[in-house]
Amino acid sequence: METRVQYQEELEQLEASALGGLDLVSAALSRTLEAIEHQDVELAQIVVADDDRIDGRYLEVHQALITLLATQSPVATDLRLISALLHVLKNVERMGDQCVNICKLIPLSGNEPPSDEEMVKLILAMGAQTKTLISQAKRAFADRDVELARDLVRQDDVVDDLNRDCFRLALEIGDDADRREWAMTMLLAARAIERIGDNSVDIGEQVSFVVTGLFQEFEDASHPSA
Amino acid sequence: MESASLPSPLPPVSARRRRADRLARSLLWTATGVAIVPLVLIVFYILSKGLGALSLEFFTTDPTGNFFGDQGGVKSAILGTIEIVGFAALVAVPLGVAVALYLTEYGGNGRLARSVRFFVDVMTGVPSIVFGLFIYLTLVLGGFGGSSFAGWKGSAALALLMLPIVTRSAEVVLQLVPNSLREAALALGAPRWKVTARVVLPSAASGIVTGSLLAIARAAGETAPLLFTATIVKATTFDLNEPMNSLPAQIFQDLKQPNDELVQRAWGAAVTLVAMILIVTLIAKLIQRRSRVQGAP
Amino acid sequence: MNPDKIDTSREAAGAEAPQGGTAPATAGSPGGEQPASPPAPAKRQVELRGLSAYYGDHQAVKHVGLYFAATDVTAIIGPSGCGKSTMVRCVNRMHEEIPGARAEGEVLLDGGDLYGPDVDVVAVRRAVGMVFQKPNPFPTMSIFDNVASGLRFTGTARGEVDDRVRKALSEAGLWEEVKDRLGKPGLGLSGGQQQRLCIARALAVDPEVLLMDEPCSALDPVATLRIEELIGELKQRVTIVIVTHNMQQAARVADTTAFMLGGELVEVAPTDKVFTNPDDERTEQYVTGKFG
Repeated sequence: METRVQYQEELEQLEASALGGLDLVSAALSRTLEAIEHQDVELAQIVVADDDRIDGRYLEVHQALITLLATQSPVATDLRLISALLHVLKNVERMGDQCVNICKLIPLSGNEPPSDEEMVKLILAMGAQTKTLISQAKRAFADRDVELARDLVRQDDVVDDLNRDCFRLALEIGDDADRREWAMTMLLAARAIERIGDNSVDIGEQVSFVVTGLFQEFEDASHPSA
Repeated sequence: MESASLPSPLPPVSARRRRADRLARSLLWTATGVAIVPLVLIVFYILSKGLGALSLEFFTTDPTGNFFGDQGGVKSAILGTIEIVGFAALVAVPLGVAVALYLTEYGGNGRLARSVRFFVDVMTGVPSIVFGLFIYLTLVLGGFGGSSFAGWKGSAALALLMLPIVTRSAEVVLQLVPNSLREAALALGAPRWKVTARVVLPSAASGIVTGSLLAIARAAGETAPLLFTATIVKATTFDLNEPMNSLPAQIFQDLKQPNDELVQRAWGAAVTLVAMILIVTLIAKLIQRRSRVQGAP
Repeated sequence: MNPDKIDTSREAAGAEAPQGGTAPATAGSPGGEQPASPPAPAKRQVELRGLSAYYGDHQAVKHVGLYFAATDVTAIIGPSGCGKSTMVRCVNRMHEEIPGARAEGEVLLDGGDLYGPDVDVVAVRRAVGMVFQKPNPFPTMSIFDNVASGLRFTGTARGEVDDRVRKALSEAGLWEEVKDRLGKPGLGLSGGQQQRLCIARALAVDPEVLLMDEPCSALDPVATLRIEELIGELKQRVTIVIVTHNMQQAARVADTTAFMLGGELVEVAPTDKVFTNPDDERTEQYVTGKFG
C-alpha cells in the first residue's frame, strides 16, 4: 500500500501553486510592457493593484510549506524541495514587486508619447527575453531539468547586454535636457527588468539544489560564468 | 436504567437475550452449588464426628492397642506423619526443582527434555498404591537396609509420588519468569549458572515454594503407600529405619474396629490430618500473596 | 574488560570517522563495504567484516561490513525484519543464545575478533553492554542491587561496588532521583526511570561499547528525550550503537546512520547526508516514508 499519499499530493499541489505564481508574474510583466509601450497609466495602476494577488499567493503557499515542515518532518528530496520552493516564492514576490516599481514610474514620464523609439524598443526586447527566461525557469523546475536551468545563464546574458545598451543610449539622450528625465526613468525600468531576469536565474539554481543536493551559484557578480 | 433527558439512540437488550442470560446464570449457580455442597457436608460431617475425640490426651499419648479401656491418643501417628512426609519432602523437593531447572534452562526442546517431560507427566497419573507396591517389592520384601517395613521406605514411596508434582509446578513457575530477565543477565556478562541461580530462581522462588507445599499437603494424606512400606506401629519412634506410625494408617486401622471409641478416635485423627493439610495450604497461599504484593510480576 | 590480546595502544588520531563528508560515501553493492577503510584499530572501535547471521537455514544478515567509530553514535535504521536487531545482537554474541542461531564472519573490537576461537563469551558481554527495548530491571532486587548485579556477576570486590554503583547512576542521570531510596525495588520506578536504571546497570561494568536496541520505543516522549540527551553525554565514554524504528530519533541522536534492508547494508553515511541527500534510491524511499 502506498504510504504518505496525502502528503505527497499536498507537496505537489504546493509546487504547482508556487510555479503558478510565475504565470502571474509573466502576465504582470506583459501588462507592464504594454503600459510602457502605450504610456497607459490606467493599465499601470491595474498592475500595481494586482500585485496583491502575487503577494497573496506568496503568503498562502509560504504558510502551507511551513505547516508541512512542522507536521510532516520532511527529509531528503522532500526537504530540499520545500526549501527550494520557499526560495522560488521569494523570487516570485520580488519579481512582482519589480513590475510594480516599473509601473509606478509610468505616470512620471508625462503624458506625452515616448521620446525615443529605440529606447522603447530595447526595453520591450528586454521584456520579451525576460518572459522567455521566466517560462524557461518554470519548465526547468517542473521538469527538474538541470541543463535547462543552467541555460538560463546564457539567456540572462542577453538581457544584461540589452541593459548595457539601454545605459549607453541613455547617456546619449542625456545631453538633451528635455528628454533627460524620461531617459532616467526608462533606465530605472530597464534595471528592474534586468533584476527580474536575475530572479529567474536564482530559480534555476534552486533546480540544481533539488536535484543534486548541492547549492551552486551559476553566475554571480562575484563569480562571472566561464 | 432510567434515562433522565434524552432517549438512548441504541436499541435496548432484547427479551430473548435477557432470558438466555438468566438461564445461563442459574445453570452456573446450580453447578457451583452441586460442587460445593458435598464439600461443605464433608467438612461438617468430619467435624461433627471427630471434634469430640480431640482432647489433651488425644494429642499426647500413643495408641495403646487396647481394645477396651484406655486406647490412648494418636501422638505417634502425628509425629510419624511429620517425620515421614518431612523426609520425603527433603528428598523430593530439591530433586524435583533440579529436574525442572534442567527442563527449562538447559534442556529446551531437545529429545532428552521431551522424553523427561513425558515421563514426568505419566508419573503424575500413577495411582499412589502403585508407588507403595513398588517400594514394597523392591525395598521391603528384600529387607533392604536391614529392615522390612521402615519409615524411610514410606518416605521413599511418598517422594516418588511428590516428585512429578514438584517438577511440574516448578517448571510452570520457571517458565513464567520472563525471558527478558535471562537476556538482561546474560548481556551483563553472567555465566549461565549465575543467571539461573541469581536471577531465575529468586524470581521463581515463591512459586516454587508454593508448589512444593502443595505437593507436601497432597502426600500427607496418602494412605496406600504407607500401608505397604511403613506399616503401622503403636509407639512413637524417631528411628526412620523402623516401622513408623502415620495418621492415614492409624485412621485406616481404627476405622475397621467395632469399638465406637476407636472409631471416634479415627475421626479425630481425620480432623487432625485435614487441619494439618489446611495449615500447610494456607501457608502456601500466604507466601503467594505476599510475593505478589511485593511487586514481583 | 578487554578480551583480546591485540595491542590497543594505538589511538585513532582525533577519532574522526572518515565516512565521507559531502562526497558520495555509499555502500550500494550488497557487499555493503564502507569505501573508506576505518582508521587503524583503536580503542572502543568496532568493525564488522563479512558478518552473516542465520536462524537455522534462514539468513537474516547478509555479509555486512561496517564500523562504529569510537566517539560516535551510530544509528541503524530500516524496516521491520531487515536484520538490524539481529546484526546488533551479533556484536555482543547474544544472537547465538537462540536455539538454532549462528553467526559467521568477524566482529573486531579494538582490533581483536570477538568470534575468535579462544574468546570467552562472558568476557565479550562485559566489554559490550546492551540495553533492551522493554526496560527489564530484576524484579527481586532493589535499585542498588540492580545496578550492582553486573558487578557481582563478575565478582567485583565489595568495597568497589558502592562507588561504581554511584558513578553509574550519576552517569545515567538517575542518581539525584533515587539516592534516597536505593533499597527500594527497581520495579517501583516509572518506565523512563527503569530504562535509565537499566542503562546504569549496563554502565556499571564499564563496557567499551553500548548497544541499544530500540531503547525508547516503550517510553513516553519526555522520557525518550531525556534518554536521547543522555546518549549525547555518554558517547565520549562508550561507543554507542542504537537500533531504532524512529527516524527522527536517528536524525536527532546519531552522528552516523546505517540503513539496512532485507539483511543487507544499503547505505551508511553521516546522518545529515542520509537525511538531506542520500545516495541510494532505496534509502531515499525509506527515509521519506514511501515504504517501510
